[in-house]
Amino acid sequence: MASKKTAQKTLSLAPVLDLNEATALHEKLLGLKGSDLVIDASAVERVGTLCVQVLMAGAKTWDEDHLSFTFSKVSDAFEKTTQLIGVDIDHLMAKEI
Amino acid sequence: MKKRVLTVDDSRTIRNMLLVTLNNAGFETIQAEDGVEGLEVLEEANPDVIVTDINMPRLDGFGFIEGVRKNDRYRAIPILVLTTESDAEKKNRARQAGATGWIVKPFDPTKLIDAIERVTA
Amino acid sequence: MDMNEIKEIFFQECEEQLAELESGLLKLNDGDRDPETVNAVFRAVHSIKGGAGAFGLDDLVSFAHVFETTLDCVRSNRLDPGPEVLKVMLKSADVLADLTNAARDGGSVDEARSRQLIKELEALANGEVPQASAAPEPVAKAAPVAVAPVVNDEGFQPVAFSFDDFEADEPALIDMPTYEIVFKPKSDLYAKGNEATLLLRDLSRLGEMSIHCDMDALPALDRLSPESAYFAWKISLKTDKGEDAIRTVFEFAEWDCDLEVTLVAGEAAAPGEELPMQPVPFDLSILDDEPAVSVGVIEEEEQLAAQQEIRDAAVSAAATASNVLQMAQSANRAPAEKSAGAAASAAAQSAAAQQAAASAATPTIRVDLDRVDRLINLVGELVINQAMLSQSVVENDANGTSSINMGLEELQQLTREIQDSVMAIRAQPVKPVFQRMSRIVREIADMTGKSVRLITEGENTEVDKTVIDKLAEPLTHMIRNAVDHGLETPEKRLAAGKSAEGTVRLTAKHRSGRIVIELADDGAGINREKVRQKAIDNDLIAADANLSDEEIDNLIFHAGFSTADKISDISGRGVGMDVVKRSIQALGGRINISSKPGHGSIFTMSLPLTLAVLDGMVVTVANQTLVVPLTAIVETLQPEAAAIHSFGSNQRLISIRNSFCPLVDVGRILNFRASQANPVEGVALLVESEGGGQRALMVDAIQGQRQVVIKSLEANYTHVPGIAAATILGDGRVALILDVDTIVAASRGHSLKPEMSLAAAG
Repeated sequence: MASKKTAQKTLSLAPVLDLNEATALHEKLLGLKGSDLVIDASAVERVGTLCVQVLMAGAKTWDEDHLSFTFSKVSDAFEKTTQLIGVDIDHLMAKEI
Repeated sequence: MKKRVLTVDDSRTIRNMLLVTLNNAGFETIQAEDGVEGLEVLEEANPDVIVTDINMPRLDGFGFIEGVRKNDRYRAIPILVLTTESDAEKKNRARQAGATGWIVKPFDPTKLIDAIERVTA
Repeated sequence: MDMNEIKEIFFQECEEQLAELESGLLKLNDGDRDPETVNAVFRAVHSIKGGAGAFGLDDLVSFAHVFETTLDCVRSNRLDPGPEVLKVMLKSADVLADLTNAARDGGSVDEARSRQLIKELEALANGEVPQASAAPEPVAKAAPVAVAPVVNDEGFQPVAFSFDDFEADEPALIDMPTYEIVFKPKSDLYAKGNEATLLLRDLSRLGEMSIHCDMDALPALDRLSPESAYFAWKISLKTDKGEDAIRTVFEFAEWDCDLEVTLVAGEAAAPGEELPMQPVPFDLSILDDEPAVSVGVIEEEEQLAAQQEIRDAAVSAAATASNVLQMAQSANRAPAEKSAGAAASAAAQSAAAQQAAASAATPTIRVDLDRVDRLINLVGELVINQAMLSQSVVENDANGTSSINMGLEELQQLTREIQDSVMAIRAQPVKPVFQRMSRIVREIADMTGKSVRLITEGENTEVDKTVIDKLAEPLTHMIRNAVDHGLETPEKRLAAGKSAEGTVRLTAKHRSGRIVIELADDGAGINREKVRQKAIDNDLIAADANLSDEEIDNLIFHAGFSTADKISDISGRGVGMDVVKRSIQALGGRINISSKPGHGSIFTMSLPLTLAVLDGMVVTVANQTLVVPLTAIVETLQPEAAAIHSFGSNQRLISIRNSFCPLVDVGRILNFRASQANPVEGVALLVESEGGGQRALMVDAIQGQRQVVIKSLEANYTHVPGIAAATILGDGRVALILDVDTIVAASRGHSLKPEMSLAAAG
C-alpha cells in the first residue's frame, strides 16, 4: 500500500539515453526510491537497451515497494523503440483523467 | 540534423574517397590522419560514428579504438574499422579493442553507408 | 572532387609511398632495425594496396599483397631482413613502382620479372616459420599482365537509401518461411557501441516480426549494474530473405551475443508457447527522427563544395606533395620550425634537425605551381623596380638625405629577402632524384655482375624544382657511367686489394649560393693513357700535345668520346659525357672531373639554386647592353694587336698562351653592326661552349657583374635567335641575355635561324 505521506516525484528523461546515460539514470532512480514516480519521457530522441533495462528494473522495484511508477508523457521515439524491442509500457502509462 | 562521421586514415586516397562518399550520402565528415589526431579532434568532431583504418603511423587503429573506449564522454560511439576480407586476425584484434563493426576494403559506397546506418540510430 | 581527381591523388600518394618504401628498405639494408622503420615500409605497401583496390587495379593489388605478406613476416620477426632478403625486397619495390606507373600511364611491365619476384617473396614468407595467416592468397599468384588504366566511374553516385524501396517490392507475406530467433546480448555488445535496438530495427526490416522480450534476468534496481546486459529476445520473423540475411544483421554482434536462428516450417509453427509476443509494426520510420539516410539527394551543391574545399585543405594538411609546392617538406623530413618561415634558407637545413623532428607532423599547404610562379614573377618586378628607384634617387638627389638612403638600403635588403624566400618556396630537396638513382645502381649492378653500394649524402639539400626535374637525366647517365666504366669487376677489385663491393657516393651540398653535387666512385680511375690515345686517334689533340692530368681527364667530356672497348648496353645508348656536360651547362651549371688512378673518380657539378635569377656579366656591344651568363665565361682578356691573327676572308683567331682560339664578334653576329669591330678596342670573353670548344667573344666593354632577374623573351615578345632571355636593369633599360651556345654555333658559319637557337630562359 502506498503511504499517503509520500510525495509524488517527477523525473524528466534526457534526450539521448545511451550507454553513458545508463549509469546516470540508474543513480537518479536510486535516489528517487521510496516515492511515487512520474516519468516524463517526452524529450527522448534516442533510447538504448541499457536505459530501458534501468527503467524496467525501476518499474519492477517500485512495484515491489508498492509505489506507483508511471510515464506521464512519452515521445514518439521512446514509444516506438520500446514497442520494437518488445517492452510493453502500456500498463505503466498514466491513465487519462 | 546531419550525422557526423569521423574518419581516421593515413592514406590521402582513402580519405578522399571516404569524404566524397560520405558527403554525397549527406553526412558531415570530419577527417583525421592517424590515431593521435583522431583522439585529438574527438571533442571538436563530436561524431555520431567513427570509421578508422588499422595501419597508421603514430597510433594505429587498435590503439585509437582503445583510446575512444577509455574516454568517458565518447566511449559509446560506434566505431567501424576499415579492414581487408582476408584478415580475420585483425578483425578480432579490432573487436577486442572495442570496434563495433567493420567495413571490408576496398569499400564500395553502398556497403560503407550501409554499415554506418546499421550502427547508428 | 571526382574519382579521377582522387585517382590522381592516389598516384601522387603512391609516389610518396614508393619513396618512403625505398628509403625504409635502404635503412634496413644499412642495419637499421627500428620497428618503426619496418612499420613504415609495411604501411607504404599496405597503403598502395588499399588505394589500388579501391580503383580495381588488380595487378597492383596482387603484387602489393604478396609483398605486404612478406613484409608482415619481417614485422612480426618471423623473417630476418638480411642482405639477401632485402635484395629481393628492393627489387620488389622497383616492380611495384613499375606496376604503379603502368597503372597510371598504361603500358606494360616485365611480367617475367614480377612473376619471379612473387615467387621469391612467397618463398621468403614461407621459408621461415610458416603461418597460415601469412600464406599468400591464391589470388596473389595470378601473373601480372599488361596493365591497362582502369577507370572506375560507377559506384560513386550519391547513395539514396530510402526504405520505401523495401516496402515497394515487399512480396506478400503469405507462405513465407518463418524463423525463430533467440537473441541474448552480452554486456560487451553494448560496450563496443552496438545496440540491440538497432539490431532489432534492422531485423524488423526483413519482414513481419513478432517479438518477446525476456526480462527474467533483470534484477531489482539496487542490484542492477547499469551497463550489463539483462534483456534477451525471442523473435519470430516471417521473411523470404533467408537465414543469411538474418545472420548478416547480427554480423557485428555475433561475438558478443548468443544467437540461434531456426527455420520453423510453415506458418503453423509460429511461436506456440505461452510467450506473449508483440507484433512489431513494419514501421520503418521508427527511431529515425532524422532524414539523414537520403539527404544525399537533396544536398545543396554549394554547401557541398564549400565543405569539400575546407576538407581538402585539411586533407592535405600534413601531406607531402610531389609536384605541388611544398612550404615545408614532408612531415617526416622537415624541421618543425621550417614551415613557419618558408623563408628559412635552404642552406640552413641540417640532417640532424630533420631526424629529430622525424615524427612531428608539420603543417603544409598545397599550392598551385602557377600561383608560386606568378609570385616569383612579381617579386622579380619588385627587385627591378627597387633597383630603378635606387638609381633615380641617386641620380636626382646626389646629396640625398641619409633617411632616404637608409630607407632605400632597407628596402633593398627586404626585397632581397623576399626574393630569397619566394625562391625557397620552389625549392625542394634533391631526395626524390637521389632515390631514383639507387634503383639505377641496382639495375646496372645486376646487368654488369658488379657489386655496388650507393651512399647518398645531403639528400635534403634543396634546389629549385626545375633544376631537380632537369637533373635526373644527366645524373642517371653519370651513375650508369660510374658503375659501368668506373667500378671494376669484383675479381679485379679483389686482385687490387679492394673490397669486392664497389662504392658510389652521391653527395649534395650548398656552397656559396650554388648547389654542388658530387659523384664519387672508388673504382680504377681514369685510364689516362687510354684516354690520351683515343683523343689522338680522334684528332682531338695533337699526338705530341702536352696535357696536364686534369686536361686529359676532362677530355672525356668531348663529343663522341667513349673509352669503353665496346659500346656497352648500359652507358652506351648513344650519349656520352658531352651530353651530360651540355645539359648541366644548359642549367647554368659546370661540371668537372678529378681522378686518381686506382682510387676512383669524382665528378663535381655546380648548379644555380634557381633559374629565375642569373649571375651575369653586363657588357656593351654596339651601344647595346647585353648580359653574358657568368657560368659560360672562363676568363676575360684585353686583346693585344699582336695576338690577333686573320685568316680566310674575315675569320680571326686570337692566340692565348700558345694556342689559337676563334674570335667571335658578337655585334657582327647579332647584326648590331655591319663591319667587324677592332678587337684591340674591345674586350674578349673566353667562353666554353657545346662540345667543350673555346671561343673568344668580342664585346666593346664590360660594365660589371650583377645578378639579374630572368624574363622570358618568348612570353613577352618573341623568340630571338642568339638571345636566351631578357632582363631589366636598374636604370630601367632592357638588356638581352646572350645565348652563348647559339652565338658560338653561328660563328661556325651556321646562320642564326630561329629554330636552331636554344632557349635557355627556363
